[in-house]
Amino acid sequence: MSAPSTYALIQYAQRRHLAFTETVDGLDEGRFHFSAKDNLCALGFQARAGSAVLEGYRPPFDATPIHRLKAAGGQLVGKTTMDEFGFGSFSTNSAHGVPLNPFDPDRSCGGSSGGAGAAACLIPGHIALGVSTGGSISGPASFCGVVGLTPTYGRVSRYGLIDYGNSLDKVGLLSRSAASIAQHFGTIAGPDPKDPTSCAQPPLAGKGRMPSSLALPREAMENLDPAVRKAFQGALPVLRGMGVAVEEVSMPSLRFALPAYYVLATSEASTNLARYCGMRFGRREEEFNQHFNDFFTGVRSEGFGDEAKRRILLGTFCRMVGFRSRYYLKSLAVRQMLIGEYRRVFQEHDAVLTPTMPFLPPRFEDIRRMTPLEMYLADFLTIPPNLVGMPHVSVPCGYVDGLPVGMQVVADHWKEMDLLELAKGWEGAFLYTFPEVRP
Amino acid sequence: MDRETIAKVAKVARLALTDEEMERYAQDLDAILNSFAVLDEAPASDTYALNPVPVVDVLREDEPAQEIDPQLLRGQMGTYEDYVRGPRLS
Repeated sequence: MSAPSTYALIQYAQRRHLAFTETVDGLDEGRFHFSAKDNLCALGFQARAGSAVLEGYRPPFDATPIHRLKAAGGQLVGKTTMDEFGFGSFSTNSAHGVPLNPFDPDRSCGGSSGGAGAAACLIPGHIALGVSTGGSISGPASFCGVVGLTPTYGRVSRYGLIDYGNSLDKVGLLSRSAASIAQHFGTIAGPDPKDPTSCAQPPLAGKGRMPSSLALPREAMENLDPAVRKAFQGALPVLRGMGVAVEEVSMPSLRFALPAYYVLATSEASTNLARYCGMRFGRREEEFNQHFNDFFTGVRSEGFGDEAKRRILLGTFCRMVGFRSRYYLKSLAVRQMLIGEYRRVFQEHDAVLTPTMPFLPPRFEDIRRMTPLEMYLADFLTIPPNLVGMPHVSVPCGYVDGLPVGMQVVADHWKEMDLLELAKGWEGAFLYTFPEVRP
Repeated sequence: MDRETIAKVAKVARLALTDEEMERYAQDLDAILNSFAVLDEAPASDTYALNPVPVVDVLREDEPAQEIDPQLLRGQMGTYEDYVRGPRLS
């Protein structure tokens, strides 16, 4: 039987796994094919970021990473499903479909770039643009058994990205192989005058230096599902066989990362989302005879989902007079302290190694029973590198009952190519498994 | 978090909450903020930046340019005879 066509796989990924919100009607076979998370603006598609409040919004321009991939010969084949504005770890907070895990459709793809993870897994050679604020590339990469690269904050322009947290958002790539990511990462990276945060970056190295010494923080090995711990520990001899030393270290400040992240992320989100008031983007209110407070409040109360409201409330509270120093300013200081702690580790080691997610892809019925705080705690391994803006890559490192387990490697700012060298080397030592797809 | 506080926060955020939402979000935020108390144990510091990496100002000559057709933007905003429509201010 011949291999299914790429177009058949895209349709399958959309129909059976809800990986896409929209797709093109046909493929241009002369071009390479990529998708974009639905919070990246693109001509010809709605950009709704998983939210009902943006229903109908059609941006009149391409986000810079999309523009650059198109200019390099790519065709944007679809927009991928996601948690509303990136608010979630399982892609279940979406107004436009919850993506289903390629390995088991009763389980989550991870979030918030869940559709991107599913598309990268189901379509060989596919390049998926994802966005990470607190782990939204690593998490789906781990749960969907693919490679996910989250670059340094500022490495890839955010022009055309629908913001979640301005000091945290990063555009990156997911694919079945690090080689595919390495092939396209140079295209999307680099300064862009339309995003000043991208303009202070050093040039991207042509070829990375393979890390030879990894630090494993003992704090990252606490609170793990035993099956994940065992699979991760099984990967360590393989790394050592590649000539990579792994040494246990302590990073006590990691315990401050999760609350500091949620304070900063929700504070920034609560101001970013102020623009959605029924006048400029997406859902429009037509009852202009109302007072503006009632007008704005009505649109926002109907348009935002449950988790979006929770994070807006949390962020608004953290910024209020009397609490700003305790929460917001303290969290900014914690971020600097944590950058210092990573840098101390990097004096002795090339990178930091941890599992990516603390448990296997969860069943949707189990997710429904989780409290919001339990959901936030699920990100305790992906949040630290995201908070400090350091590049990280997640690669599959084992399988438990047919479900993938990921490991995450974090390097110092701007050293993405070192991570990709390690990930490419890893692919020579460890065989990835992908589900059989019959469109 | 008491009901009065959550009502005040919701008003600032321009969100109208039902009684059920008010109660549920108050409980959720209480649990979340209690877990944030660990931040009090972090050493005090005056050293902080708004971004995790240094950021530079990007300056350019102030020259007129038009990258996006204004008609497209007007269409997105549902303008009427070139006016942006909005709710009452008072």
